[in-house]
Amino acid sequence: MNILRNIIPHTVAIIFLFGSTCYVSASSTPAHIQVILHPLKTPLKMGDVPAFEGEVTNTGKETLEGLVVYLSLVSLEKGNEHPLDLEDWSAQKAVLIERLLPGEVNRQQWPMRLISAGRFALALTVVEAGTTKPIISDLVEFNVLPKKLISSSRILPIAIGEPLLILILILAVNQTKRLRHRQKV
Amino acid sequence: MSDMTTLLRKECVENLSVFRTIVMFIFVCILMSVYSILLISNTEMSLLDNAHAEYMLTELVLILSLLVTLLLGSDGIAGERERDTLEVLLLSPVNGRSIAVSKLFNILFTWLILFVLSLPYLWALAGNGQNLVPSIIALLVTGTLCITIVGGISLILSIKFQTVKGAIFTGMTVFLLLVSPAILGSSLRNNAIGRFVDAIDPIMGAINTLDSVIIDSQGISFQLFRLGVMLFYTIVVLTSLYYISRKVEL
Repeated sequence: MNILRNIIPHTVAIIFLFGSTCYVSASSTPAHIQVILHPLKTPLKMGDVPAFEGEVTNTGKETLEGLVVYLSLVSLEKGNEHPLDLEDWSAQKAVLIERLLPGEVNRQQWPMRLISAGRFALALTVVEAGTTKPIISDLVEFNVLPKKLISSSRILPIAIGEPLLILILILAVNQTKRLRHRQKV
Repeated sequence: MSDMTTLLRKECVENLSVFRTIVMFIFVCILMSVYSILLISNTEMSLLDNAHAEYMLTELVLILSLLVTLLLGSDGIAGERERDTLEVLLLSPVNGRSIAVSKLFNILFTWLILFVLSLPYLWALAGNGQNLVPSIIALLVTGTLCITIVGGISLILSIKFQTVKGAIFTGMTVFLLLVSPAILGSSLRNNAIGRFVDAIDPIMGAINTLDSVIIDSQGISFQLFRLGVMLFYTIVVLTSLYYISRKVEL
């Protein structure tokens, strides 16, 4: 049962990253690209903006051109495993490496804004033009601790105070007008 | 010039002393309060990122202000016509263009008040100050451009239509057309047509600019195209208003 529990989230992640199971068996992995996504060592909580570091290495002997590198995020919450749209998590969704010389390492920073709590996994995918199979890094799992970011101590005085203040101001102005009018009469 | 100043002052003071305007300001404040209290009372929403909460509030302020602008603009000339006060205005030393300018100035003045009313809420939601100043600047700039566009269009309609009702209905259609991409949602706007509509729609330009500045912390260079589109519409609307307002008739 425990093995199953561990397998399910990873299966969801793999299906999401590859698109479909047929895709996995489409062709052999090009051995000349190595992609690594480094895990973070610090504990993470909501509101943090950590930057994950990715590395794409050309291990072959030929120059590679037009490599598209993109980040994929998946939620591994038990019973609610699903791929996540990076829309609000990261402004940088993909990077194009125009040329990668033999032995060259291309490093990218992937800043993420942690907008919700839970267990997540990230992977870096490299797509090379002319090949049928993307190259994917190992999954980097991380936990985001919940944190109340919107504090009631700041909001409540404003939310109650501002409409009341305007109401009092209007009443005061009206009262002054009436008094002036009476004095004139 | 002094006639123009008198007209501007009259428009603003009159508008502020009208009961419905005051009720509208209080209503907008209450709406922002309800929204803020929802954020802290709802478990899921209280875990929202500050920038997200700020963005949602700026969007709410922008849409509310545009609706208020639409009503004020539609009532501008057609309202004077319906209340039989346009004749008196036209008999005074000011011309139709001055009347339109004073109406537009009044709309911008009302927007400025709504913007100032939203500032304490923005400060409260910003928490540790994440993107607070950029969000205020983005709201002021995009809001002013959008208000000028919608205000100008509604004033043009107000000049052309005999009744406020007609101007409001047509203005509302234009407004719905402008905000319809937002109703469709971001996933439906991901194809070429959606992106094209997003690019040419000034209101979507403002919403996307707010998203880009507040949530994605992107700089001014990312906003230039959208600001350019909004500026283009502003110039077109103001030029049209300039020519159309020469022929304000009873």
